[in-house]
Formats: sequence, C-alpha cells, structure tokens
Amino acid sequence: MRNSCLVVVAISLLTSCVTSRVEEIRTATTGMDFTDEALVILGRASYNDRETEESFTDCLADVLARGEQPVSIIPQKQFKDSLYPWFEPRTAPATSDDLVRLFAQPGVRERIEASNIRYLAWIEGDTVTVDQGGSFSCTVSTFGGGCFGITYWEQDASYEASIWDLENLSSAGEISADANGTSYLAGVIVPIPIMARPGNAACKALAGQLKTFLKKQ
Amino acid sequence: MELKRLLLLALTAMLSACTTSVVVEGSAPTPLVKKIPANVAVYFSEEFKTFTHEESIEQAGNWKIDLGNQNLDFFRNLINSMFTSVIEIDSAELTEAQQNSLDGLVIPVIDKYGFLTPAVSGLKFYSASIHYKISVLDNQNNKLADYTVVGYGKSEGGTFGAGKALGEATRLAIRDGGTRIAVDLSSQPTIKKWLAEKIPGAQK
Repeated sequence: MRNSCLVVVAISLLTSCVTSRVEEIRTATTGMDFTDEALVILGRASYNDRETEESFTDCLADVLARGEQPVSIIPQKQFKDSLYPWFEPRTAPATSDDLVRLFAQPGVRERIEASNIRYLAWIEGDTVTVDQGGSFSCTVSTFGGGCFGITYWEQDASYEASIWDLENLSSAGEISADANGTSYLAGVIVPIPIMARPGNAACKALAGQLKTFLKKQ
Repeated sequence: MELKRLLLLALTAMLSACTTSVVVEGSAPTPLVKKIPANVAVYFSEEFKTFTHEESIEQAGNWKIDLGNQNLDFFRNLINSMFTSVIEIDSAELTEAQQNSLDGLVIPVIDKYGFLTPAVSGLKFYSASIHYKISVLDNQNNKLADYTVVGYGKSEGGTFGAGKALGEATRLAIRDGGTRIAVDLSSQPTIKKWLAEKIPGAQK
C-alpha cells in the first residue's frame, strides 16, 4: 500500500504542467439522445504532411464513450467502410453545405439512418513541437554507466471539432481546444523524464466540451 | 561441396534478412454507388492477380511488396458493385458467345507502383502510389477507353514498423484508386457515349 502511494506521488511529481484552453461557437441548438442516437468522429485526412493523428480521434472516442452519460460512438473505420467511397480524402464533404449533395447519392441516407447516426464531428489539427533544446548524454563503460544533462521540448496541441447535424443537414457549431506544455528529460546518473502531454490534455478538454455541446438544450 | 552449399545457404539467409517483405492486407469495402446499367465481363491477368513490387533503395534497403490478394479482392468487389452484372473471364477478349450476351469487357492493369520511405522523402510517413489503367472494350472487343487512375496512400511508422506502415500506405493507395474509379468511371465521355449507344435510355 505504502509502495503504491509512493508510485502515485512520484508519477504526479514527474508530470509536467500543461495549460489548455477551450472555445465554443454554437450555430444551432443540439439535442442528442445519448441512449438512441450515435455520433461518429472523423479525422480530417489530407495528402500533405499535417493531418489529425488517428490516436487523437481514438482518444476522443474513448473518453466520450466512458463516464456518467456515455455517448454511443460509431467507429471511424466502420463508418468509412459502410459509406465507401463517400468519406475518402478526395470525396469527403468539405462543408456542411455538401451534405445535401452527399445525401442524394443512392443508399447514403439509408445507411446513416440505419446506424442512428445523428451527429458527425470532423476533427482537424495536430500536435507539433514548437521549441526544443538542452543537451543530454548517456555513457556505458566496464565500470558502469550513467546519464548527465537536461533536455526539453515544448509541444503545442491545437484541434478543432466541426459538428454537423445529419438530421437537419447543417452545421451545429465548432469547438476548439489548445494545449501547450514542456517536457523535460534530466540525467542524474539515471534518466528522469518529466512529461507534459498536451495532446492528451487537448483530447480530454475537447471531449468534455463536445459532450456538453451535444446534450439536449 | 558441402561447405559451398552451407556458405550459399548462409548467404541466402543473410540477404533475405536484409529484405523487408510486405504483404498488403485489409478490408475490401463494397462501394455505395449507382450501378452502371451494363452486363460486363472482367479480366484479371495473372500479373494483376499476383502483383509484387521489388526494389532496392540505397538509403532504405531492399523491399518486396506483395499487393496480390488484397488488390484482387478489392477490385473484384469494386467491379461487381459498379455494373448491373459482372462475370470473370480468363481471356482478354470476349468469345463469340460472350459477345452475344454481354455489353462489354473491363480490364484493370497496374501500370506502375512506387513508394517513398521517410529516409528518402525526409517526411515522417511512408507513402505509396499505384497507377492503374482501366481498359473498357465494347462487346466486339473494340477498345473504347483507357482510363488512367493514380491511387495514393500514406501512413506513419516507427523504426520497427516500417513494413506495417508501407503495407498500410499501399492499402490506402488501392482504396484511393478504387474511389476514383467508383466515382468517376461512369462520367467519362466515352463510357457515357458507349452506354447511350449500346443501351438506349441508360444515360441521360
């Protein structure tokens, strides 16, 4: 028991500080029935270097599906396969205005209604390293080894969710979450990591706000 | 003699250990598109059915990418969902009997496959591109159109996940090529003209 407490204290001490900010713009009233209706979360794919990590959309789905009022989530892969080829990088609707055109395709409306999908959340953004520095090295010899120095890296996570109402074929609003944190790796014989996880913080902040946003008003 | 065989065996083992073998796997979704009102045959050549790409890259070693089953399953599903009825034949031409019962013939071919690793591109992901050529023939074996499509896919991978990442990038390239074929083929002018001539009232 005492050991467990020490581990918890040690981990909390080794977690670096992260600051996060969430903003919301609502353009329509929402009213999701968490017991009957489902949400699909899609990462906006692109052909360039920057795109939303799958781990981030997985994190959002995981957080939303847990807790007091779990949201029914349709997995991204299942959704894209069942509506192939309409949610691929080159065919996915870019704005909510394109939904009318999409729903005119044979079978699309029926598939979405059969899955009880009420809302679609497009996620855009990524986590980037904005600054890094310091020096750190480890040595191993016949007499032993050790690490010395300190290195740091600052990461900025910036994500935005565009929520579309698939019943009314319109945009319901946007939520953005930004988080920033600096991680350190210090070497005092043994390497000691002090990690900031801005991506994780942004995920939790965005998921919390998204759940509140979708609730019946 | 025995020593030579052992050395040869050891050398073969060493060389194969330096080659990254990738077998592309994944789902083959059924496209949700309006069927082209035509009864066609499809011919998959042996090369298409077993397509494998081998390449040596100075900065990234030897690679062997097997598209085989995934590519074939995907295209079977794709072509079957795009036309009213589809039969698979083992020749690149329709027989006389087939000419009487079918409207045309579709022949997909892989023209070119290429890939990039992070070591080559300087980017953090693996990418693959596939150039497909879709030939459409009428029921008299006259070529109507050669439709070229490029499918592109990319996937991030760690140091030890190179094969897996390239396999995923290739799977996405097959899927992307399929997207263009499913969405664009029916709107090609030559295809529209063919349908209008052979099946009056099919295309408005």
